[in-house]
Amino acid sequence: MAHKDSPKIGETKTEMLHPMHVPKDELQGNEQRPSLDKILEDLLDFEKLKYCNGCGICTGICPIAKILPEYYNPRILLHSLPLGDEKILKSPQLWLCAWCYRCYRRCPQKLNLPEIFQVVRRYAVESGYSEGFIKALEIISKNIPLPISCSYVCFHPERVIKNQQIVADAIQQAILTSSPEKSKEQPFAKSTKNVAIIGSGPAGMSAAHDLAKKGYSVTVFEALPSAGGMLRRCIPKYRLPKKLVDFDIMRIKDLGVEIKTSTPIDGTQKVKKLLEEGYDAIFVATGAQEDQNFTIQGAELNGVFHALDFLEKANTKNVELLNTVSIIGGGNVAIDSARTALKLGAKDVTILYRRSKEEIPASPWEIKEAKDKGIKIDFLVSPKKILGENGKVTKIECVKMELGEQDATGRRRPIPIQGSEFMMPTDSVIMAIGQSPNTVFLPKTVELTTQKTIVTDPFTLETSSPNIFAGGDAVLGTGTLIEAILAGKQAAFSIDHHLRGIPLDPVDIAENAFGRENNGT
Amino acid sequence: MEPKIQSKPDEELRIGVYVCHCGKNIAGSVDCADVAEYASKLPNVVLSKHNLYTCSDPGQETIKKDIKEHNLNRVVVASCTPRLHEPTFRRTCEEAGLNKYLFEMANIREHCSWVHLYEPEQATAKAKDLVHMAVARSALLEPQEETVVPVTRQTLVIGGGVAGIQAALDLADTGYKVYLVEKQPSIGGKMAQIDKTFPTMDCSICILAPKMSDVGKHPNIELLTNCEVTEVGGYIGNFQVKVQKNPRYITKDCTACGDCTKVCPVEVPNEFEVGLSGRKAIYMPFAQSVPARYIIDAKSCIGLGENTCAKCKEVCGPDAINFSDKAEEIELKVGTIIVATGLDVFDPVSLMEYGYLRFSNIITSLEFERLINAGGPTGGRLVRPSDMNVPKTVVFIQCVGSRSEKKGNPYCSNVCCMNTIKDALLIKEHWPDVKIYVFYIDIRAFGKGFEDLYRRAKEKGVIFIRGLPAEIIEDNKTKNLWLVGENTLEKKIYTVNAAMVILSVGLRPRDDSEKVQQLLRLSKTTDGFFMEAHPKLRPVDTPTGGVFLAGCAEGPKDIKDSVTQASAAAARAGILMAKGSVTVEALTPTMLSDKCMGCGLCARVCPYNAIIVDKEKKLATVIEAACAGCGTCGAECSFNAIQMRHFTDDQIFAQIDAATAKDADKKIIAFCCNWCSYAGADFAGVSRMQYPSSVRIIRTMCSGRISPKFVERAFARGAAAVLVAGCHLNDCHYIDANYQTKRRVEKLWKKMERLGLDKNRLQLAWISAAEGEKFASKIREMQRIVEGATKLEIEKTVQSLAQKKVNVVTEVAKA
Repeated sequence: MAHKDSPKIGETKTEMLHPMHVPKDELQGNEQRPSLDKILEDLLDFEKLKYCNGCGICTGICPIAKILPEYYNPRILLHSLPLGDEKILKSPQLWLCAWCYRCYRRCPQKLNLPEIFQVVRRYAVESGYSEGFIKALEIISKNIPLPISCSYVCFHPERVIKNQQIVADAIQQAILTSSPEKSKEQPFAKSTKNVAIIGSGPAGMSAAHDLAKKGYSVTVFEALPSAGGMLRRCIPKYRLPKKLVDFDIMRIKDLGVEIKTSTPIDGTQKVKKLLEEGYDAIFVATGAQEDQNFTIQGAELNGVFHALDFLEKANTKNVELLNTVSIIGGGNVAIDSARTALKLGAKDVTILYRRSKEEIPASPWEIKEAKDKGIKIDFLVSPKKILGENGKVTKIECVKMELGEQDATGRRRPIPIQGSEFMMPTDSVIMAIGQSPNTVFLPKTVELTTQKTIVTDPFTLETSSPNIFAGGDAVLGTGTLIEAILAGKQAAFSIDHHLRGIPLDPVDIAENAFGRENNGT
Repeated sequence: MEPKIQSKPDEELRIGVYVCHCGKNIAGSVDCADVAEYASKLPNVVLSKHNLYTCSDPGQETIKKDIKEHNLNRVVVASCTPRLHEPTFRRTCEEAGLNKYLFEMANIREHCSWVHLYEPEQATAKAKDLVHMAVARSALLEPQEETVVPVTRQTLVIGGGVAGIQAALDLADTGYKVYLVEKQPSIGGKMAQIDKTFPTMDCSICILAPKMSDVGKHPNIELLTNCEVTEVGGYIGNFQVKVQKNPRYITKDCTACGDCTKVCPVEVPNEFEVGLSGRKAIYMPFAQSVPARYIIDAKSCIGLGENTCAKCKEVCGPDAINFSDKAEEIELKVGTIIVATGLDVFDPVSLMEYGYLRFSNIITSLEFERLINAGGPTGGRLVRPSDMNVPKTVVFIQCVGSRSEKKGNPYCSNVCCMNTIKDALLIKEHWPDVKIYVFYIDIRAFGKGFEDLYRRAKEKGVIFIRGLPAEIIEDNKTKNLWLVGENTLEKKIYTVNAAMVILSVGLRPRDDSEKVQQLLRLSKTTDGFFMEAHPKLRPVDTPTGGVFLAGCAEGPKDIKDSVTQASAAAARAGILMAKGSVTVEALTPTMLSDKCMGCGLCARVCPYNAIIVDKEKKLATVIEAACAGCGTCGAECSFNAIQMRHFTDDQIFAQIDAATAKDADKKIIAFCCNWCSYAGADFAGVSRMQYPSSVRIIRTMCSGRISPKFVERAFARGAAAVLVAGCHLNDCHYIDANYQTKRRVEKLWKKMERLGLDKNRLQLAWISAAEGEKFASKIREMQRIVEGATKLEIEKTVQSLAQKKVNVVTEVAKA
């Protein structure tokens, strides 16, 4: 629904955008463009496409395959490529990979599916096929809560279509055409049950969206003055313009969801009170909002930032201009911080990661893009202390690392090399060594892990305390936007069953839990 | 030693050349008629023919007829690799009365037509060069007489699993003495741990135990358990083996009454039960152990050190415990060796996502064998570890550690599908209500009776789902496991709740196989299993004469195949021993007494200590019986006093000169050792791996034969690049001769640097017989060096080495 107050995305065009018109100069090297056969041949050689045994692990682990089972199956998409059929270039499937890299990390044959699809996407655009992307946007807007944010953060084709305005227009057009006024959706039956959701991030808002559509009256409690969680707070503006978050939130409000901002649920009493106040179920979706503490000498110096604080400040107000920036950590947050620092005018940005290229958790593509933008990544380096003068950072003492035995995470443990210490001059240090959830406000009856994440039943998402459910980063640790949305949808499905008194059995989960019931917005 | 047979010095050379089409295998990309025409114009060639199959009977008859009719005294066949048909054609020559060492082969199939399938012109040009090289070499060939050595009629079988047992019994029954060496305290191997066998569902130990006991009682078998082979010397028919016998601490008086175990205070995990139960420090591995004697595990016993516990000794009736037992060394003389060292199972701990050891109800298929076995820790009751209850739902996951590029092994482990089907049926037999899911990629039920068993499992209600689980999550409360994955046939996500998960783990080469490889100078395939001499025609032979393979040491296989292969290996070893003698190729060096200065450099590099230097007489002599013919001494001698029989300096120079006669600046001269890198190039050919046609390969027995002067000659003749290739260090077929190769090449690099030459043009590579792709990519890589080598650079090299060249040429002339 295009709410009358809804902010405009870019410049709305009046004419339809089907098929998307991509100007000639957008195409890269279209003159000597190799044939699809040639591209596939290269893929077959370099990406070992032919070694796929069809085990299905990629699809089994894929969040999109669970949210959109009717539209997306990475294994089948991969298998259809060698057939060289032009149909695949027009299909929305090609545009539904959300770049979480879960499939690549788990594939027994090391097939890099996201990047294989990327090559084919580029080929499709260069061949003038854009209808697949438009159709994909329609599917996203009908089936995925927070469709615009998702379109920008997960499905954005910026890597193949460089003109942002074209993409922005296409996204808006797709969202407008799929608004409920134009679709013939059945009105939902109202329920008398109330659900409280703590946290207005993607997991919370997705659960709110699905539950509201099932007829529950849903209240979302948000500690900050505006809703959106990480989408608003820390995802850099260059990635996701903040007014678009408003649009997504508005769509969910339009479903009748009440969002109470500046209303922190910050004590165990407040949680219990919610249940007493007549909420039949609580969904805890507080995310992993706190920077993990890293005790290092000099952390108190001026010029040392925690990544989330830094990203938040960069999104809301101007941060003091930095010159030489060192970032500690190797996740996507570290990359976001580095690119944000660059955008803020830093001249020299270096990421320090203590393991090797093989182990770095950031997506391979993110790393490549960061490098293209001039960001340096130093592998096998760990900071020892931060040194400063007059309370201001001047340099970091680092030590080189080597890899030892596998640790509990299956990665090789980094070990400092004795005597390899060296100094790195820097003006600012950003610590991006991971985030952890704040779960102290929960009643003692809610069981926690040693990492302070919440223990839930893996499928019902119910905690050890009855009627309290939890999902997203607060349970799984930091993940991607699409994983949070999946958790929200899963929670909504489970809470709905719980409140209707229908036990969830594995067959239900297999058949329904991941969104089959949720067609149409 | 002077050669026994001398060719008549003034005899006119009459060379016959035969270019084989090999059907379309060679003629598909090489113009054989053109090559034959070219050969006919080469010096001393009196006859040149091309025919469809030279190795066929009519082909061989033609050669025999021509030798007689045309008085041929040299024969060159341009066809496949000498590793395949050299023996065939040598025999042909002998039958026509020509010494077989006067035969030469040009490899225009594996090294030419198959690797340049799409470049007929270049392939033909290369084939001409190869024929030219062979003709040039053949002109300098000398007749040789082979020595006949006796074969000791005793066999060493390494490994006492079912393959070793079968091979030992077969040979012992034939009447040969067999030494069966087993590392563990009892023979039996992995088969003893398995509950039932597929597809007949026979009880594994019930069919194995009688064979084990036969081994124990056989008068011709000396069973050496708790022993390890530490050294292997000698050669085919005459191996000297050292075996270390580890202390058992129990004498032969042991009656296996078991009183000792009852009083032993130390309990450690039982290896035979895969750690599912415990055992004492004094123990018998399992009930059917052969020999049926107890053993003390020195690592855990507390009676062996200074704190003497000795509780067992106090109760031992026959006084069979000897705490002062020591390791001893046994020396054996055997004629043949059978390697039956077996396999290890894949350890799924490294596959984090499957949660083995993190989640209590996930076990491996080998652990399951012990769980379901009546003699196992639960008495055959299938229980899950978390609560010792019979699980209601059991899930099997296939291909754990198999068919994966990432973790585990890329190959199919051959037995897991059928093993799972058998296991599923076993569960159904005892607990029909247990729901069983098998998650698989492909079910490979290819053997006799396998499909029937698969069908039976389906009949009994075992559910087969195509698609491996992507996630396994443990339910904290019930300790059940949730499996999520894609049913790839239904194209839907499944979620299955299982009480117990069994990981069907793959098979992998043993951790200690490297040691065995080095002891016996074997080759390994890229999978890590031992390589056979020929995959189709000599499947149980190894490249090392007198050494044979049986069982899973050669590759993953089931019991039936292991037994079949063991009998085959026994037959192969038996043939050698029945004959009682074997001829050894005449490849040993001849010392030219007039040139030898007695400097002793040759003796220093000889891997076999086969050279004795008399400092006073200033003369080195070769101990013929100890020499293996690697030629390292020949490469080391700076006085040209050592002539390697059949691989003389002149013969190799002739090959180099022929190869560089035309367009030398566009060519790579590759010196490859017979066992690994030449075989690796053959493998590239068999696999049709395409690479640039610029390379000309010269074969030597060992890379240690490759003298720096060969490399310099190639450069002096204007070659663009030179490759020296040998076996991987430590895998050398002549102990450690390739370390000399390394040293010599490094010296050459330094020299090139000193002369201001691009040392990149000389490449050194270690390429095993299985590394065809490595050979092909090395040539592709070197093609860039060839293309980058400027005329100026090549000219400079020729000039820098010109002085040297003159020296060499004059010396050759003198010789």
